[in-house]
Amino acid sequence: MKQKMKARAVAVKVLLRVIVDGRSLSVALPEQLVKLSDPTERPLTQELCYGVMRYGVRLEAIAKQLLNKPLKRKDRDVECLILLGLYQLIYMRIPPHAVVAETVEAVNAIGKGWARGLVNAVLRNFQRGEQKLLAKADSTPVARYAHPEWLLAMIKRGWPDEWQAIAEGNNHYPPMVLRVNPAHGSREAYLQRLQDEGVAATALTALPSAVVLQQSVEVERLPGFGAGDVSVQDGAAQLAAWLLNPQAGERLLDACAAPGGKCCHLLEQTPEAREVVAIDIDEERLQRVRENLTRLNLQAEVVCGDASRPDAWWDGQPFDRILLDAPCSASGVIRRHPDIKQLRREEDIDRLVVLQGEILAALWPLLAPGGLLLYATCSIFPQENHLQIERFLQTHHDATAQSVSASWGRAMPVGRQLLPGDEGMDGFYYAPLLKSAG
Amino acid sequence: MALLHILRFPDPRLRLVSAPVTAVDETIRRLIDDMLETMYAAPGIGLAAPQVDVAQRVVVVDASPEGDAPVCLVNPEIISHEGVEIMEEGCLSVPGFHENVERAGRIKVRALDREGQPFELEAEGLLAVCIQHEIDHLDGKLFVDYLSEIKRKRIQKKMEKQRRFSM
Repeated sequence: MKQKMKARAVAVKVLLRVIVDGRSLSVALPEQLVKLSDPTERPLTQELCYGVMRYGVRLEAIAKQLLNKPLKRKDRDVECLILLGLYQLIYMRIPPHAVVAETVEAVNAIGKGWARGLVNAVLRNFQRGEQKLLAKADSTPVARYAHPEWLLAMIKRGWPDEWQAIAEGNNHYPPMVLRVNPAHGSREAYLQRLQDEGVAATALTALPSAVVLQQSVEVERLPGFGAGDVSVQDGAAQLAAWLLNPQAGERLLDACAAPGGKCCHLLEQTPEAREVVAIDIDEERLQRVRENLTRLNLQAEVVCGDASRPDAWWDGQPFDRILLDAPCSASGVIRRHPDIKQLRREEDIDRLVVLQGEILAALWPLLAPGGLLLYATCSIFPQENHLQIERFLQTHHDATAQSVSASWGRAMPVGRQLLPGDEGMDGFYYAPLLKSAG
Repeated sequence: MALLHILRFPDPRLRLVSAPVTAVDETIRRLIDDMLETMYAAPGIGLAAPQVDVAQRVVVVDASPEGDAPVCLVNPEIISHEGVEIMEEGCLSVPGFHENVERAGRIKVRALDREGQPFELEAEGLLAVCIQHEIDHLDGKLFVDYLSEIKRKRIQKKMEKQRRFSM
């Protein structure tokens, strides 16, 4: 038998994979989308999943008011369905009667026929008391900003004046940003091609290579995507190659390279580089690096290895420039990966800070005298960013922080920080570190 | 393990009445494993042996939301049923079509397991519907048989057309 699987039921399965099994949305979605009986419901299913991840904390606060007693652990699927229903009623432009009918209908597909009346009653009661329920939920910042308590507290500690804007920025839908391959034509020429295809786009002024689309499109609709004319990459991530600024004849290391966006950018920008070594600890994700290199017809030495243990993979030849895009909380890219709110735990942060410090210290000896290491994270937490670098500078006297004069972001005691939404870009931190020549 | 080819409506082999399994041996266990793999890959929540061109009374189902609760039923028999459940069903042998079918809401089934041991299973909701749907296959019956003649003919025409174009 083949079960009729419609958008809401598949969305529940995706959410369970994330909430119960701890898988990331970008893995769980494609895995479950194949179950849809009607493939045209893919965009709707995706929107439902991203929406519930984005606003889950607020939706939970509302659901709590509507449920007499909390649902059992084994009924997490029913809870997900209720959150899906609330998300549609609050944030989507689907007629409410259709929301209730379609959401209630999904109880059968998830094997919880008994919950039909419950889901129906919860959604109808929400419609009746909408204003009051929203007002009550929003009386706490946690629900109003739809962030878990620890995350909101940590943002507040790091950015006492900006935390509200950051939290709001995290809930905004991110723009789709492209990186134009200079070897295949100019940005102006590509903007023209997009216009000819009827895809509305503008140049991102902070960067010479970036194009912002007014609306997301499937990559297949992008002219020349398969031929490598263009890649999908946020502006903030594109800054890495410009800041590292590699020169002809140099040997480069891209540490923690997967999925390879920045590695490809380095090669696009400096085809005359002597060699680019891309390492990552995750063999599966390195496959993505190889795919990206192939699509763009670029060559790099792709190595599976632990950046904090170079003895296992380094050939002893120094690098002129190193890009260290360190593993981090990803707190700057929550707008792109709202499942971070669900998956990340407070205790992860300390562990990541230790790991970042280890990798940085382990890679520093690989850098040639006079060379440049660019430390980058997609985090907004000071302990992963400028506090990390300040600590490093105290113990490494052959390192100096290079100041970044730029129009984007804000200057930190060392390095430069972009907050989510600054110039339309993701949250990122960059610190270029120079090694003294002597 | 291997992926098996699934027959499509209106293939006449789907109309055969399957024979009871006389001994649950290695061949049957192999068939069960291959059927499960085929079902998960489809993806589907139930598969009966005649759908993969083996006219024997073997059924595999997994109606769990996570797809991690496979059940195999050899020589299954419904020993009691009650209630009514109407669900939109589809079939791996009739891809692309879903229609409402009325069946019992709760059933008790007796069958042999993968080792040939008899067991009984009580099921309700989706699992009950799925088991009934699969046992129908063993008797040469398809979910389209529950539809009006007009609907069934329409589906048959479309399926025949699909096959002509894909050959």
